[in-house]
Amino acid sequence: MTLRQIAFYGKGGIGKSTTSQNTLAALAEMGQKILIVGCDPKADSTRLILHAKAQDTVLSLAADAGSVEDLELEDVLRVGYRDIRCVESGGPEPGVGCAGRGVITAINFLEENGAYDGVDYVSYDVLGDVVCGGFAMPIRENKAQEIYIVMSGEMMAMYAANNISKGILKYANAGGVRLGGLICNERQTDKEWDLADALAKKLGTSLIHFVPRDNVVQHAELRRMTVLEYDPESKQAAEYRQLAQKIHANKGNGTIPTPITMEELEDLLLEFGIMQKEDDSIVGKAKAVA
Amino acid sequence: MSQSAEKVLDHSALFEEPEYKELFERKKGFEGGCGAAKVQEIADWTKSMEYRELNFKREALVVNPAKACQPLGAVLCASGFEGTLPYVHGSQGCVAYFRSHFNRHFKEPCSAVSDSMTEDAAVFGGLNNMVDGLANAHALYKPKMIAVSTTCMAEVIGDDLDAFVKTAKQKGSIPEDFRVPFAHTPSFVGSHVTGYDNMLKGFLTHFWDGKTRSEVTTPSININGGFDGYCVANNRELKRMMKEMGVAATIISDPSEVFDTPADGEFRMYSGGTTIEQMDAALNAKGTVFMQGISAAKSAEYVEKAGQKVVSLHSPVGVAGTDALLMAVAELTGQAIPASLEMERGRLVDAITDSQAYLHGKKFALFGDPDLLLGLTAFLLELGAEPVHIVCTNATKDWTAKITALLAASPFGKEGKVWPGKDLWHMRSLLATEPVDFLIGSSHGKYLERDIGTPLIRIGFPIFDRHHHHRFPIWGYQGGLNVLVKILDKIFDTLDAKTTDSASFDLVR
Amino acid sequence: MSAVLDDKTRNRALINEVLEVYPEKAAKKRAKHLNVYEEGKPDCGVKSNIKSLPGVMTIRGCAYAGSKGVVWGPIKDMMHISHGPVGCGQYSWSTRRNYYNGTTGVDAFGAMQVTSDFQEKDIVFGGDKKLDKVIDEITQLFPLAKGISIQSECPIGLIGDDIEAVSKKKSKEVNLPMVPVRCEGFRGVSQSLGHHIANDAIRDWVFDKADYNAPFESTPYDVVLMADYNIGGDAWSSRILLEEMGLRVIGQGTGDATLKEIEMMPRAKLLLLHCYRSMNYIARHVEEKYGVPWFEYNLFGPTKIAESLRGIAAFFDDSIKEKAEQVIAKYTALSQAVIDKYKPRLAGKKVMLYVGGLRPRHVVGAYEDLGMEVCGTGYEFGHGDDYQRTTHYVKDGTLIYDDVSSFELEKFAEKIRPDLIGSGVKEKYIFQKMGIPFRQMHSWDYSGPYHGFDGFAIFARDMDMAINSPVWAMTKAPWKK
Repeated sequence: MTLRQIAFYGKGGIGKSTTSQNTLAALAEMGQKILIVGCDPKADSTRLILHAKAQDTVLSLAADAGSVEDLELEDVLRVGYRDIRCVESGGPEPGVGCAGRGVITAINFLEENGAYDGVDYVSYDVLGDVVCGGFAMPIRENKAQEIYIVMSGEMMAMYAANNISKGILKYANAGGVRLGGLICNERQTDKEWDLADALAKKLGTSLIHFVPRDNVVQHAELRRMTVLEYDPESKQAAEYRQLAQKIHANKGNGTIPTPITMEELEDLLLEFGIMQKEDDSIVGKAKAVA
Repeated sequence: MSQSAEKVLDHSALFEEPEYKELFERKKGFEGGCGAAKVQEIADWTKSMEYRELNFKREALVVNPAKACQPLGAVLCASGFEGTLPYVHGSQGCVAYFRSHFNRHFKEPCSAVSDSMTEDAAVFGGLNNMVDGLANAHALYKPKMIAVSTTCMAEVIGDDLDAFVKTAKQKGSIPEDFRVPFAHTPSFVGSHVTGYDNMLKGFLTHFWDGKTRSEVTTPSININGGFDGYCVANNRELKRMMKEMGVAATIISDPSEVFDTPADGEFRMYSGGTTIEQMDAALNAKGTVFMQGISAAKSAEYVEKAGQKVVSLHSPVGVAGTDALLMAVAELTGQAIPASLEMERGRLVDAITDSQAYLHGKKFALFGDPDLLLGLTAFLLELGAEPVHIVCTNATKDWTAKITALLAASPFGKEGKVWPGKDLWHMRSLLATEPVDFLIGSSHGKYLERDIGTPLIRIGFPIFDRHHHHRFPIWGYQGGLNVLVKILDKIFDTLDAKTTDSASFDLVR
Repeated sequence: MSAVLDDKTRNRALINEVLEVYPEKAAKKRAKHLNVYEEGKPDCGVKSNIKSLPGVMTIRGCAYAGSKGVVWGPIKDMMHISHGPVGCGQYSWSTRRNYYNGTTGVDAFGAMQVTSDFQEKDIVFGGDKKLDKVIDEITQLFPLAKGISIQSECPIGLIGDDIEAVSKKKSKEVNLPMVPVRCEGFRGVSQSLGHHIANDAIRDWVFDKADYNAPFESTPYDVVLMADYNIGGDAWSSRILLEEMGLRVIGQGTGDATLKEIEMMPRAKLLLLHCYRSMNYIARHVEEKYGVPWFEYNLFGPTKIAESLRGIAAFFDDSIKEKAEQVIAKYTALSQAVIDKYKPRLAGKKVMLYVGGLRPRHVVGAYEDLGMEVCGTGYEFGHGDDYQRTTHYVKDGTLIYDDVSSFELEKFAEKIRPDLIGSGVKEKYIFQKMGIPFRQMHSWDYSGPYHGFDGFAIFARDMDMAINSPVWAMTKAPWKK
């Protein structure tokens, strides 16, 4: 089969790497050969697969060795649960340098050194938002073909999902990148499923799966494991298997997203009661005055 | 007053006149300098072993490097295609620099455009610049192709050329079927030779990707010269030799015409170069010879994957280098090496025989691009000369291994030391503490000649302060002869200058 | 009169002709930069200092070129770090001919390429630590360097390095002046913003750190000769005249300057400004803060030299005015001899100029002294005030082109067929192939100096050499009609 290239995007703290690693573990269970490319300077996209935070990121090793040309693929590639191959791009401390360029450097290195050979799935796990050209690298042509946006019913997560769709749209016309769907990580907000589903429709895609909240995820995380490995019989493991099946079956079903305006997004939130209609009379009034 | 209308003195003579000497003395009173004695003391110290050790401890500072940045190489590569406009996506100042750099070396015009990205593009990305830039360049300069590379500005903000070019076409800047080969050329990776390689690979993938190869039955091959300051003459020499062999050779990227147009009243923005048809056909050639294999590593890998035989040479200067070239071509094509070329070989060997007494055991220092250094070192060893210090600022691991092996294989290479990643300020220390007879390198070596007194033989890139050197080949047996004469002229001139006042001022040498 | 009218008509037609080739949007923009000068107008009627069009072969450079290449680079006893990737410093290494006296690599550092040679890891992780180390290594290896400037290349501003913080820290540690200059190439539209940023750095990191209460023995005749970059020794052939007329040149800048000389600006009685475009900012600052007046002078050609020397003398007492007259008189014979020799060979020749920010107007007088006529001129990076100042120099009907593209200049030259073009190295070989004599007017084509009376003789010789070379007769093969 041909290489499937997918990417998980989403607002920081949404449980993106947890979701992606559990889903990929389930895909591995299905016999798929997986490569995870962590594109987050925090380098925690492969922690649950490797049972450890990856210390040897592409960029830290390149910095030690002098340049990325001095590295071999074996230096940066680690193999974890069910032979999932893991690479972390790494990057600078917050506030210095250019993390976006780091992502470009790391992906170029992997491609040039044949990291994708013999793999069924490459999955990019990308920091927060598409903030600059560097973080858009995984959605360029010949990189990820399907983007899965991890979100929840919270306002900021939905803003982020819409923004990421804008990023995808920018590249979708020129290249082949498509939006694979939304994955809603339950936060137990009001009418969460309905809202996520409504947003998905607005964005011209579907809510591919709604992952319920379950404490077993935290138990597994404490042990630096995926649920699939920690408690394969759990209900939550079955949820991730289901998500994995859906993604596996979703090949070629991606769409060009139709991001919405801020007004439309706010209308949506109002409709579901997440946001209150602004009362213009209270704007800019301090507590004492009011 | 020394100046006169009869004998106009320019800077080279005027400032030697007493009124200016006095002026300089008066000026010193305001300069706050530290006095001639202190300057002499430090000048002497900079030539000491102690200084050398300190100098070689440098980890961050680079002084007088012998390398430039990637897009310069991309522009040279792109200039070698017919009707092709080199286009650099990013800051405009870079392109002004590339153009003037080539102007000064070739003494020729150099046409290239930038899409003038400024502060707003730094924030929002350079897509709009690309959309307008391609449209304007296409309308004004009517190229057959536009070859896009990048400056470091575009690379840091992560602009995506592939997507940008496609979007520009969708927006109607240029026709859908207009050819835009491109390459990302970050200047903080590698050097100008890396950029050349990237652009070349950009052309190859543009023309060959997705096509099926069906090898020709005729003796036809491709040759690529790499980043070569002598491309004008070298490519012509290659073509001549291939003709002698009855081999149909396509030079992939051939700037030999565009950087050598006549003064006949007409400015030719484009001239010669590899054609679109040639590039299409080149896929089916029997193989591709890379004249500078280290500097074309990525392109060579691509060509090999495309199913062709690849021959990687290293700037073949001299007898064995040219032998290897011709034999490789003979093997690729099945064509015999003709008597005419064997005759040329014999003449070069004859010339070396005549002059070897002046070359044997002479110690040389060299600096320059990796492949050229391999070629020159091999030639020096052939001449019985001894390469001692070899500085390659843009060295690769591959180069270091190859040149070390080359030196080890010859008794004349025993003293040779290889200095990958070092610069000309390191070279200064080497020349000062372990003197050699001659230095080979680009015009930038003239400061070393001045500081240390080692006579400079100008071979390399750039040559700014001598005219027309690039019009004579350094490859092939003819090229070997040119290099030989360059070296000998300097040896004899130096000997004459040294013996002016002695009985050894010989008429016959 | 009809000749002027003919020229005007032709020039207007030419402008329309070149504009036709551009896409509509671009043509509209370029139209504002091309004009025919009408006598009596207060400026040349062109827009300037505006972004160059993408994809159009502009001749302009960048802010780094304006700061490192023009203003800071020539200060000889400092080391100027081209901070970022290797290219910028490499291409600008010793190519501008800012002459200086000193021992290169020991107490003078002009003809050197000093760089932090950024690698990918420096971009990703930031370059401040590397800069820190670069400065340490400079102080170890070049103990006579009197200061260090940090010339930012594009990536520095993009990755957010804090070179100011590093400069402050290192300045204390190694006890040397450090000057961070934010001259990233993507800033502004040409070299010009680089000049401005470089000027501001002089203000903030040189003047504001110098002690002007320290004792200094001044005289009423102290001047600083500034914004002369000593191309081929221009500042020296200027300075000699100033000294001869009794002035004490306490500083020169930035050609052949030391940092100490730069510090002298606020101490002068008068600032003599050669290149207005590149250093008027600091001149205005010194005037405002320290009360030192400034004067834009022009030492090209005997007419303008005499005018300028008198203009300078007017700031001083009669003794200087008298000496100025003596100097003018002393050199009259030389200038006359030069004119007598060369004018017959050059009179009536037409010149087109396209240079940076000053020479498109300043050299007009020198050509006129030789009986030549400037029929077209324009600036690479001039501003509105430059085009105003140009009106004092150019004739009715002169073709004016701002930020001209190679395409436009070629078309203009093809039709006008001037006897000489004065521009830069990027243009030189184009026009020579077209059979048009050419002189580089940035670098003096490796000749010079052109300033002062001594320089005028060289200027005249060079223009004669270019125009009257036998080579131009050979452009066409004799069998071609």
